[in-house]
Amino acid sequence: MKQIQGSYITGYVTVLVEGNMPELFFQDCINNGITVWEIKREAPNACSGNVKLKDIGKIKSLRRGKNYKVSFTRKKGYPFILSRFFRRKEIVIGMALSILLIFFLSNIIWKVEITGVPKDIEEKIDKQLRDYGVHPGAWSFTLDKPGEIQRNLTEDVPELLWVGVHKKGTTFFLEGVEKTIVEEGEVEGPRDLVASKKGVIKNMYVSKGLPKVEINDYVEPGDVLVSGTLNEVEEQGEDEEEINEKEKRILVASEGEIIANTWYETNVTIPLQANYELLTGKHEKKYFIGFGDFHLPIWGFGSPEYEDIHREDTKNSLYFFKWKLPISFIETTLSEKTYNKIERTKEQAIQAGIEQAKQELQLQLGPDAVITSEKVLHESEESGKVKLSLYLTVEEDIAKAQPINQGD
Amino acid sequence: MKKMHQRIRPWLIKKFALPSDVILELPRITIIGQLHVYIENHKGLAVFTDNELKLKTTKGYIQIKGSSFVLKMMLPEEILLEGKISDVKFISN
Repeated sequence: MKQIQGSYITGYVTVLVEGNMPELFFQDCINNGITVWEIKREAPNACSGNVKLKDIGKIKSLRRGKNYKVSFTRKKGYPFILSRFFRRKEIVIGMALSILLIFFLSNIIWKVEITGVPKDIEEKIDKQLRDYGVHPGAWSFTLDKPGEIQRNLTEDVPELLWVGVHKKGTTFFLEGVEKTIVEEGEVEGPRDLVASKKGVIKNMYVSKGLPKVEINDYVEPGDVLVSGTLNEVEEQGEDEEEINEKEKRILVASEGEIIANTWYETNVTIPLQANYELLTGKHEKKYFIGFGDFHLPIWGFGSPEYEDIHREDTKNSLYFFKWKLPISFIETTLSEKTYNKIERTKEQAIQAGIEQAKQELQLQLGPDAVITSEKVLHESEESGKVKLSLYLTVEEDIAKAQPINQGD
Repeated sequence: MKKMHQRIRPWLIKKFALPSDVILELPRITIIGQLHVYIENHKGLAVFTDNELKLKTTKGYIQIKGSSFVLKMMLPEEILLEGKISDVKFISN
């Protein structure tokens, strides 16, 4: 029976054969490899039977040159149901429209949910998100990746310590963690100022406390610069006396700025030749619909007449309900770029190296430090690169608070 | 030579218990109550009407009689008949 299994899916036809001895026509069919079933005698000179849809061609060729009248009386199976269905235009159009509607609605942001932050920050985030285009009713494929939104958001909303952005279907979930601004851990109570680096004292502004060093003194890290103990007594004499003295001590939180000359040694390597790319600012945008690897342009035709092009693709997948479709919306930005090449003489390279070293050091020390002088200790040229060993003198505040241990 | 050939076959069936329908090319008929007749190894249809089915075999015809016959399935050497069967008859040449 397996020969006729699944015939409903592929479709079958009831054939009515009229003529003398119609059953012999079916015998012929079988001899030619056509499966026939449900053969019935309809009339003394007529027989009907079912054949598969794909065998109809063979039946038509068999009929030729024979004295039978063959007609197809009933058509059954999915192919016929489908063709009947497609004949009704209204239903097909309606169906296509509804699928299209669901497709569109699946690609719209319906909800932006922000959790974990107080109302005011929530509003702030919401406003920022609106700026990025993330709001209910926006097309989800024109938006940035959640990771990118996450990064922009933490940059633009300073109150946020961290924000987790993820998209689930048509909803954007944002989970924020508020930054609790912690007061800088200033040492409260009595304290000394000690040196954090070695250096030579250049300037001292002591507003509270007893200075222990003088200008042009050399200090090592840990040396007391300003003492918080005002009437310090030499620790000598008998024990009892010492206790008394200790009680009399006045302890203050010393404050002040100790500017010292410090020095640093750094090594930099500067290539004599350098290549770099520069975007000129001219750019064009193109939009594609991608099916796998195939990209169908929908906006922005022709390529811009730039010599060198920097290409940036952003790909957003389309959804049908929660399923990701193999179709994606691609935005391509073509920017003009120029290749630049610089060649430097050794002198220029050394200058560039010094600049670079200064910048790095400034970044490391903060804006308050002033680099006063630099000196090239050693230079060497090797395979197109200049190696420099630099000695930099910096004026900076080296004071660091240290609490006075009161011994309790 | 042919006689020898024909003598050897029944001997084979007897001695080796081989299925006789295969060796002798005889039709195998399975009847399920009065409902179905399943015939294998026939050599073609001769007559089919509402109350009669006649099939060719190697040694003549098989005639099946009854009423409201429908050929449920037809394959080159198999036939499945459905209806109310009253008799099965062998007609030799």
